[in-house]
Amino acid sequence: MEERGHTEARRGVPELTNMVGIDFDRLAGFRYAIVTTVSSEGYPWSIPTEFEVTIKHEILLRKPIWANAFTGKRVGVLFNHIAAIPSGGYTERRYMLVWGKLTESGDKLKLTPEEVSEWDEKILPFAQLCAKSAPQGQKYLEKL
Amino acid sequence: MIQVPSWVRDVFENYLICEITTLDNDKPVTFPMLFFYDSSSGKFAVTSSILFSKKVEHLKKNPRVSLLFSNPTGSTVPKHAVLVQGNAKCEDSDLDHGWERFLPQWREKEPYIDAFLSEREKFSWFWKRIVIEVEPRRITAWKNADTQKQGEEFRS
Repeated sequence: MEERGHTEARRGVPELTNMVGIDFDRLAGFRYAIVTTVSSEGYPWSIPTEFEVTIKHEILLRKPIWANAFTGKRVGVLFNHIAAIPSGGYTERRYMLVWGKLTESGDKLKLTPEEVSEWDEKILPFAQLCAKSAPQGQKYLEKL
Repeated sequence: MIQVPSWVRDVFENYLICEITTLDNDKPVTFPMLFFYDSSSGKFAVTSSILFSKKVEHLKKNPRVSLLFSNPTGSTVPKHAVLVQGNAKCEDSDLDHGWERFLPQWREKEPYIDAFLSEREKFSWFWKRIVIEVEPRRITAWKNADTQKQGEEFRS
């Protein structure tokens, strides 16, 4: 599993990133969230926490320790899923990476989405994803 | 090499994936990835196809990276959360074979990988892969993934 992306087709055409368009039903199916910001030392800093999607489509995160380091900041929040294969390895890969601002909402942190990148192998099979990503491969080879 | 307790080593040696974050300027970009751990050096590696190489472009501009280990799916280790922050080195001088030294570990994690390898011609650019080696500078670990509490910190 690695960097991949699509956004679910609203009219059948997957796109790599989307400024809006979150499928909240699918989002609610993830088990936890990973919040990432940049530390004072300049390194990425990630922490997992629980979350819920309200009926008003608000994304509320349980405050992890050092929540004040995130509050008011633009963060990246990854929602990720894999399922184990009994004989080894994993399947059912899907993730949603949402960028947005975190604000206090009672005892929770509310994520206001600004941009999303996602991939679900059931929606965009891996072979199609590879074909779609050829321009990035070409770009990398040309820079070598 | 940063010394960590056995429950943290168990995470490194048994979890299948981590969540890697690179920085696109100041924007954190996080993706789940298969990783490889070298217990003798304490270093980590991931390999990236050129098809999905934006992360490498980020790392060439800013080598600061983090690896979060938060998903025990497919392992027998309990759920913990361990954050490794460090510096990455990207190796792309041999895209066709440089990554192959990780195949034994890859097979352990994904026993079906040889079926994909047998279609190497079909997915030729997927198998052009960059090796990203991560040397940890700081490790923060939350036992039982209790991120409401202060994590344990380890530095070199």
